[in-house]
Amino acid sequence: MPPRPDAVNLNELLARIAKSAGLALIVGVLILIFVYGAQGFTSKFNLFNLTRNLSVAAVVGFGMMVVLALGHMNLALGSTALASVMIMGWVMKVAALPVPVAVGCGLAVGSLLGLLNGWLIVKTKLHSFIITLATASMFLGLVLIMFPGGPISDLPREFTGISKTRYFGWVSGMLLITLVAGVVLAVMYRFTTLGRQMLATGANPDAAELSGIPVSRAILLAHTLSGFLAALAGVMFTARQGSALLSTGEDWLLASFLAPLLGGTLLAGGYVSVVGAFLGAMLVGILQNGLVLIGVPDFWVEFVLGLTLLITVSLDRLRNVLAARRGN
Amino acid sequence: MNNFIKSAVLAVTASAATMAAAETRVALVPGGPHPFFANWEGGGVDAVKDFGVASSDYRVPQEWKLDMQNKMLESLVSQGYNAFAVFPGDANGTNAMVSELKDFGAPTVSIAGCTQSPSPVEFCLATDVYKSAYQGTMALIEAMGNEGKIVHETSLLIDPNTQLRVAAVEQAIADAQAEGKKVELYQHLTDVDDQEKADQKINALLAGKAHEFDGLVSTAWVASVVTSKALRSSNNEDLKFIAIDHDQIVLDAIKDGVIQGTMLQNPHGQAYIATYALDKLLNGCTIKADAPFSPTPQHTTFIDSGTMLVTKDNIDNWEAEMKAVTDGIMATFDEKFLDCAS
Repeated sequence: MPPRPDAVNLNELLARIAKSAGLALIVGVLILIFVYGAQGFTSKFNLFNLTRNLSVAAVVGFGMMVVLALGHMNLALGSTALASVMIMGWVMKVAALPVPVAVGCGLAVGSLLGLLNGWLIVKTKLHSFIITLATASMFLGLVLIMFPGGPISDLPREFTGISKTRYFGWVSGMLLITLVAGVVLAVMYRFTTLGRQMLATGANPDAAELSGIPVSRAILLAHTLSGFLAALAGVMFTARQGSALLSTGEDWLLASFLAPLLGGTLLAGGYVSVVGAFLGAMLVGILQNGLVLIGVPDFWVEFVLGLTLLITVSLDRLRNVLAARRGN
Repeated sequence: MNNFIKSAVLAVTASAATMAAAETRVALVPGGPHPFFANWEGGGVDAVKDFGVASSDYRVPQEWKLDMQNKMLESLVSQGYNAFAVFPGDANGTNAMVSELKDFGAPTVSIAGCTQSPSPVEFCLATDVYKSAYQGTMALIEAMGNEGKIVHETSLLIDPNTQLRVAAVEQAIADAQAEGKKVELYQHLTDVDDQEKADQKINALLAGKAHEFDGLVSTAWVASVVTSKALRSSNNEDLKFIAIDHDQIVLDAIKDGVIQGTMLQNPHGQAYIATYALDKLLNGCTIKADAPFSPTPQHTTFIDSGTMLVTKDNIDNWEAEMKAVTDGIMATFDEKFLDCAS
């Protein structure tokens, strides 16, 4: 007799809670270590900046998570964000259109570039690694051609004010944007057909196709969503910097993989954890912040982050191998 | 009960006294790694020694990116730094970060380069780049015997300081022509403050077209070093050269007569004066409303940190002469710029 669907769901749910709880425990331990070991960690200024940087990092992680769900990757995440914010900055500053219109344009550009990635993957059947590696370079080149004058500075206070909002004196208002994005994604994967189709495509694209799931549509939509989230992270980053910078997204690649993978999202696709990705971003953000505060040089922080990714991916691989053995 | 009240009063008084004499921890933060800023470190150390400031530390972002500099400034605040002297990573973009530092109660000044006004920085202490480029060009014209064609080596055209330097070189040539001197501009060689580009562009120019011009004036550190090296290796005594800044290669070239001089800036003095002023600002002083700043097109609260020409005649004494420039600014700084009455 096949297992009842709700029984499977309960087991799945428990496993998910266990994974997230483990990560939350590590985050909690790290916080305790830095509260007692890193002078200035609990200052309002530091906590505000920590939550502000976390809110951007988590959205960057979500942007990669939605394509990891397919077993794909988006190496053009950073340059998509760059193209989006430069267009947004131009609309805001040069065309002098209202802030909401400019932000809308930025988000639309990100979504379109994501759609282009998805379309190229569907049409060429090439691996997303190759397609997005190529488009990353193309988007960056186009931006440099279009904006030879460098950054677009002095953006309106109405826009930069988003990054200054704070609650209780230390919680960044931008965290609210991240939480809304997270809740929408969680609901999509948990309760909508589209979300399940994306996960099914990631778990086994051939089986998904055979069972009537519109795989191409799932790929197009997941990459469009990834582009949108990259642009959203870019908008938040730009509000914080006060300028649309050509360095936007340049060093996001490592962080974009770290957050979802630490959170339990599978590199091979088929499973995501929105809460896990948020906790993963928290872990990275707290680690970066705390290490700097206890005087660890920046270069070592980069080393530690790279090592963390390597260990995470290795553990993920080990888990798969053990699961396969148990299956046999 | 009385003892408790006495203790409480003592505690409040002690904490008020501590607050009144806040411990000043200054961070000197350039836009990114560049040899020009290395002398800030000594300026900060000397100010700590001379003025009893708690600390004045030189902290360099890993790369020339505004977000890297902003991240560093954020972490420095968390580490307890409460006053900042920064070279703006972006003339406009840095204003947003400075405004946050100000909200936090940390005064900030921009040194070596200015933010775009209106700006929340207390003032900008930097080289008057127009004056420096003008004097350097005039010194070159004299070294060339008042005739010949001039190449101007400079940084990126989008840098507002480059625009001023270009204008100054052109004005100096125009003024010299008005005096009957037979000089003209051969070329502005831009974007040569980067090692790779400077090597390519300057060596190509000297190898292929050195016979078409008679002198070079540099307003970029790296270009000065590359040109000094190239002139030494080519033994070209016909070309005259006025460099900028105090790289040892440039100073040795002046000593050996390979080049004619260099326009010094005052990075040590910038860090020294900034640390002093920040300590004062953190401890109750304010900037005078009628302070005699020298507004530039970019910045309204500008203070010239000084510049001087070094040639073979004063090469052994330049540090003392530059210190005299710093002492000159310091002698009237309180009177001109600070209001410490309240």
